[in-house]
Amino acid sequence: MAEQFVGKASEFKDGERQIIQIGKREIGVFRHEGEFYAYSNICLHQGGPACEGLTIANVEERLRDDKTSMGLFFSEKDMNFVCPWHGYEYDMKTGEHISDRSQKLRKYEVLTKGDDVYVVA
Amino acid sequence: MSSPDRSSAKRTTAGAKLAKTSSAKTASVKVAPKARAAPSVANEPSPQEKADFVKAMSKGIQPNTEAARKVDAKKRAAPAQSEPAETVKILRKIPAPGAVVNTAASEEALRVAAMIEKALADGDLNCLQPHAQQALIGALCKLYAANSEVGNRFPVVGGRTAVTATDVMVMCGALLKAVDLQVFELGMWQSWSSN
Ligand code: FES
Repeated sequence: MAEQFVGKASEFKDGERQIIQIGKREIGVFRHEGEFYAYSNICLHQGGPACEGLTIANVEERLRDDKTSMGLFFSEKDMNFVCPWHGYEYDMKTGEHISDRSQKLRKYEVLTKGDDVYVVA
Repeated sequence: MSSPDRSSAKRTTAGAKLAKTSSAKTASVKVAPKARAAPSVANEPSPQEKADFVKAMSKGIQPNTEAARKVDAKKRAAPAQSEPAETVKILRKIPAPGAVVNTAASEEALRVAAMIEKALADGDLNCLQPHAQQALIGALCKLYAANSEVGNRFPVVGGRTAVTATDVMVMCGALLKAVDLQVFELGMWQSWSSN
C-alpha cells in the first residue's frame, strides 16, 4: 500500500467527487462536510460504477415518545450515495450498504498533508 | 431498473420510427397508425421475460458468470508490493450537486440573456432580428437535446423565471411547426421513448 497523491484539498470543493484510477483499480474520492472518503467504484450488486450516482440524504422515520410515527424525513446528518445502475445505496461515511450493513464497499484511507490529498492504495 | 444502454436503444428505435413517419409523410404515402404501432408491440418482452429480468437483477452476481469473472479480475488487479509505483489518473470530476461551473461561453450567454431581458422590459422587440433569434433558438435546441441524450437532464428553464405558460405554448407550437410535427406525433414519441 502506497500513498498516492490525488490533488489539492483547496481545489476539491465540498460535495465534489473524483473518480480516479490507480493501476487497474477505480476509486471514488468524495469530499463531504470537509472530510474525505474513498471507496472502490465497483458496486457490490453487479459491478456498476457505485460512486458515480446521486448523493442523497438518508431517509429516516421519526417517532414520538409513544412510538407513533411522525412520517419519513431526510436526515440532517447522514448522507448516502447511490449506484446509478439499480440503486444500491451506500453510507457516505462507512461505505456500508444501508439496508444490510454487513455488505460494504472497499474503503481506502485518505490522508491530507497540508493542502495535499493522498489515497492509500 | 433498466440500464442506460437499454433506454438509449429504446430512444434510438423510437427516433428511427419517427424519422420513418416523417419521410413517409413527405412522400405522401398513407400508413395506417395501427400498422406503425405494431413493431413496438412485437418488441415488448413477455411478462415471463420481465419477471425473469427482475429476478436476475435482485439476485446480484452469480458465480461462474461473465459478470463474476469481470469483477474477480478487477479485484485481483491489485499489484504485488514489488511492482513499480502506480500512476494516478483522474478519470472524472463530478461537481457538487447544484454547483455552477461557469465557462467563458456560459458567461457570454448569460450576458446576451440579460441584454434580451432588459430589451423586453424596455419594450424593444427588435433587439434581436429574426435571423439572430433563429440562430440562437436552433443552437440551444440542439445543445439541450444533445445533453439530454447523454443523460445530462436539467429543467429547461431555471427556477426563478418569468416565462409564462403562454410563452411556452407559443414557442413549443412554433418549434413543432418548424420541423413539420403534429402534437400527436410528439405524444407518440414521448410514450415510445419514455421521454
Ligand atoms: S450494479 Fe450497482 S446497484 Fe446494481
